[in-house]
Amino acid sequence: MTRIAVGTEKGGYLLEGSKDDWEVAGPLFPGWKVSAFANVDGTYLAAVGSNWFGVGIHRSANLEDWEPIDHPPAWPEGSDREMELIWRFHHDGNRLWAAVAHAGLFTSDDAGITWDPVDGLNEHRTRPDWQPGFGGLAAHRILTSDAGIWVAISAVGVFRSDDGGSSWQLKNDGVGSVAAVGEERPEVGYCVHGLANDPADPRRIWRQDHLGMFRTGDGGDSWERINNGLPADFGFVIWRDGGSGRLFTIPLESSENRVPVGGSLRAYRSDDDGEHWMVAGTGWPGDPQFTGVLRAAFDGDHRGKVAFGTTGGEVWLTDDNGESWNRLGPRFPRIGAVTLL
Amino acid sequence: MPAVRLPRVLGSAARAGLTHEVEGTTLAAALDRLFAGEPALRPHLLDESGEIRPHVLIFVDGRRSALGDSVGPDSEIRVLQAASGG
Repeated sequence: MTRIAVGTEKGGYLLEGSKDDWEVAGPLFPGWKVSAFANVDGTYLAAVGSNWFGVGIHRSANLEDWEPIDHPPAWPEGSDREMELIWRFHHDGNRLWAAVAHAGLFTSDDAGITWDPVDGLNEHRTRPDWQPGFGGLAAHRILTSDAGIWVAISAVGVFRSDDGGSSWQLKNDGVGSVAAVGEERPEVGYCVHGLANDPADPRRIWRQDHLGMFRTGDGGDSWERINNGLPADFGFVIWRDGGSGRLFTIPLESSENRVPVGGSLRAYRSDDDGEHWMVAGTGWPGDPQFTGVLRAAFDGDHRGKVAFGTTGGEVWLTDDNGESWNRLGPRFPRIGAVTLL
Repeated sequence: MPAVRLPRVLGSAARAGLTHEVEGTTLAAALDRLFAGEPALRPHLLDESGEIRPHVLIFVDGRRSALGDSVGPDSEIRVLQAASGG
């Protein structure tokens, strides 16, 4: 049985089933954008957002009865920052993290009831120079390990902490900047879209950037481009199946035209750490699909099950590590978040 | 006692429904009482500066109101559903 939480512009949905038998529940939180889900040791979390009413977090023990938390992540009163959206939850087995826009990190040690800011990042000395990307000024990906913590912020770059989150260094050498052309290499202005790493060697990280696919073997001290076989540099997704080490991405035509190249919606895979890429498996639509896949709309269980959602509202799943793909369920509103629960 | 009426979209953030009777002689005081019982509503109605969020409209007895405006003992405080967007 597979359970997929789908966060859309118009509520959240749950897809539950297997093979050709799927049930749909929802919408959860009608009228709200649902931007992130998490399963924290059996407590489910959903983040909601609204252009008018701000953000909220709801908790549930059964995915049916939801309770709002009283104090979601917030900037200090009087701050000139806005809490626009909770982009991602990350549970490392111990601590729960939330990556938010305006860009920041928050942690919770009680499964999302109370939150504390990670001031070392949120008040970083470079913050006055942080500029938003097209999707806003957003922290959107967190990798944690004993070897370091990495956070992706658009359009600022990758930060690494070697002291548990107290201090942070920018780690973008080898990646081009989207900041002003002609300047000397700026310290910030790197539009990272996605990160994935190898839990057995967490300093091996793959990065889908605005400007292409990259990898590092030294925790981000240096990055190298790895686009061999990809039909485009642009895309939002990078996923590494932990069990097999297979990498997945979904290339999109360009920064200006964020749809599959030629309308061919395909995941691409690499079985050699990104040296070579090729179309992942079969089952893809034969007719053009001018629909994108966003950075938080791709998830897996590290045992060969991988799901993603499109901006056209479709959910796709493979349960054989990308050998065959199937479209599931109804057509949803624009999908921004997909989480296997 | 003044009554606060919430739009349906805020129902998921309110534990005790969409209508709340609260004490207070100003809109700010009435909302403070509302948030004392329903703290999850606060970030949905007020921004980081403590002001009513941009584009959120609160009407007292049919008149758009600010936090310092007066509220009568039988006032209806109505939070409007957002009207724009796709």
